[in-house]
Amino acid sequence: MSFLNCGSTSSKVSELTHSSRRKGYKLQEKKRSRPHSRHVHDSKSISTVSTMIEFENDYQKYELLTVIGRGYNDAATVYLARHIPTGQQIAIRQTYLESSKIDLSVLQNEIVLCRQLHHESLLPLYTSFVHNNDIWTVMPLMAYGSCRDLIHAYFMSGLPEQAIAYILRDVLLALDYLHNRGIIHRAVKASHILIEASGQVCLAGMRNAYQMSRNGVKQKMAFDYPHTSKLLQWLSPEILEQNLAGYNTKSDIYSVGITACELANGYAPFSDMPATQMLLEKLNGIKPVLADSSTIAALSAEQNITDSGVPSDSGIDTVEANNSEKTGALGYAYNRTFLNTFHQFVDISLEKNPESRPNTASALNHPFFKHLRRKTTEALPALLHPVTPLSDVHVSKMPKEDPTVDDLGRDFEDLDMAVDWDF
Amino acid sequence: MPLFGRSQKSPQELVKQLRDAVSALSKGDKGDKKVEKASEDVSKCLASIKALMNQSAEQDSQSEFLAQLGHEMYSANLLLILIQNLAKIDFEGRKDVVHIFNNLLRQQIGTRTPTVEHICQHQEILIELMKGYENKEIALRCGMMLRECCRYEALSKIMLYAENFFDFFNYVEVSTFDIASDAFSTFKDLLTKHKMLSAEFLENNYDKVFDAYLTLLNSENYVTRRQALKLLGELLLDRHNFTVMTKYISNPDNLKLMMNMLREKSRNIQFEAFHVFKVFVANPNKPRPIMEILLRNKEKLVDFLTKFHTDRSEDEQFNDEKAYLIKQIKELKPPEDS
Repeated sequence: MSFLNCGSTSSKVSELTHSSRRKGYKLQEKKRSRPHSRHVHDSKSISTVSTMIEFENDYQKYELLTVIGRGYNDAATVYLARHIPTGQQIAIRQTYLESSKIDLSVLQNEIVLCRQLHHESLLPLYTSFVHNNDIWTVMPLMAYGSCRDLIHAYFMSGLPEQAIAYILRDVLLALDYLHNRGIIHRAVKASHILIEASGQVCLAGMRNAYQMSRNGVKQKMAFDYPHTSKLLQWLSPEILEQNLAGYNTKSDIYSVGITACELANGYAPFSDMPATQMLLEKLNGIKPVLADSSTIAALSAEQNITDSGVPSDSGIDTVEANNSEKTGALGYAYNRTFLNTFHQFVDISLEKNPESRPNTASALNHPFFKHLRRKTTEALPALLHPVTPLSDVHVSKMPKEDPTVDDLGRDFEDLDMAVDWDF
Repeated sequence: MPLFGRSQKSPQELVKQLRDAVSALSKGDKGDKKVEKASEDVSKCLASIKALMNQSAEQDSQSEFLAQLGHEMYSANLLLILIQNLAKIDFEGRKDVVHIFNNLLRQQIGTRTPTVEHICQHQEILIELMKGYENKEIALRCGMMLRECCRYEALSKIMLYAENFFDFFNYVEVSTFDIASDAFSTFKDLLTKHKMLSAEFLENNYDKVFDAYLTLLNSENYVTRRQALKLLGELLLDRHNFTVMTKYISNPDNLKLMMNMLREKSRNIQFEAFHVFKVFVANPNKPRPIMEILLRNKEKLVDFLTKFHTDRSEDEQFNDEKAYLIKQIKELKPPEDS
């Protein structure tokens, strides 16, 4: 397999600086006329915006237009916003620091870490400041939303294969940058992959990232575990095991494999089972697969086995209903066939033994990523057709947020603490 | 090594090259062709030094390489020059400066730490690093180097007793959140890492420090207020700071401040204030003014504390402490001689 040959060059590649590596890594430009007329966006690229505009630490310089997302246990609200002095559309994440569900120091680590990273495929952070009891974080607007949003919006049965190739390639480039700096991302999943109007792919979710060098000592293995149960499906078996062997950057590759299935199938593997069963399957080396004509027969057979395991007293009717529902949900799989290279990529990424998984450099050389254009922005928007990025047109249709409503609610909670001391 | 097979430069050559490039960089103005070239050269030199450092670490010859590199760097006073020009160096280059600086700092020859000794003799290095918080571009990089320095007591001492230590009270409150957060973690390291050192510092500079600290506790910035209050609690409860604690809890103004913070709107601030307030109540030898305030508010306090954060039922320690405080306050009696 050509992959093995690539493996031997991988250590060299990772030593080179980022820019020279990008030149060295061969991507064959393939000129093809696209049937769709591509949307023309006047928005400038992220890097130009960040160097051109000074984003102030003053909430009055920003107009919040509408809520476009929530995060961090609902303590964070993401707004589509306008930078008033320049008219630039941006995203602002407000995190309510009084929430008992968040950890201030985790947030601080995330923001300080993000400010020290510069890579076109990592979500940049323009500035952040405190206003009242919130932290405002100013970021570029990712007008296509996350890949999870794309699945919800249109691609219920999965994104187009070519789009996935571009998205995963860019995610791997971001991971390569992180891994070379001793950082494990630990939260690669569709909802953390954001896409800008231009088609630029950005990896976000740095809150869970772990730095391998602590107090100046570079560790070979990590023994720190993410403090959230929301990532379990994407985490590698060795992270879930939490044993003395620890884990390293290869665990991110496993998450990329899971994410690949999520993007292709429209749902993340293991979604339909309790966490304990998922753990068992991962530890037994059971690999999720892409659902298509070549795997659907096996998938359905497996489904039947699971269903026959249901106690008989649960009623035959429900079993049948379940069955038809699942076949219905997977029905689209009969009509599609993914490239062999895609299957191979998923297979090798999901190896139970971390040593058998490729590192980022050799993963980027996998045949699945050959024949891609160098610039994702040139291809991705057309591949995501008919989904269009969020724009002013959408915004005017949406109800405006009234931030005072939220504040009122917060005030009420505090009323009972009013006492007057005698000094 | 196949990777760097072309020409293996010696530390002497690299340092000389770096020194010349930095000096060219420092002289010119932005936009100048020569400066652009110099900037490129600086980044290249830094990258090759870093690469050699990592390479020697893999070959277990790091100590030898570091010793040579350090020697050259000290005699050219290059650590200071690099930090003075940090803002002019590009993004990746700055990172490499941090990497090289921190590795040199950790270098040990026997029981000696030569870079620590060098910095002790060139205290301007630390002063420059602390001033780095005033420049957005390099603040976080300087922070990383400062915290590495904080691990050495001798360097912590220089920073604590430097005139511009008190600038930290401004740095931790700057509007850019990441810089303020980073400055706060350095500030905290300075006051907590070396217990004896900081206890002595706090005792000798009690008035100056706690006057300045008051501005943090009254800050308009929620995060500053919350973090400062939390750190205050930690400082007072550390047994090394017994003298400081005794002094702090004898001042009725401090008690008033904490009682007011107990009823702040923010639950997190209420909670941190509780951990300072409890020290006042638990003090077996309450000075008269403190006793009087507590007595005057006895009923209110008992009532208040009974309703205070009742939803924290799973936090056993907090509930025990709260019950203890309520009991203590209920049993308060005016001193016999009044």
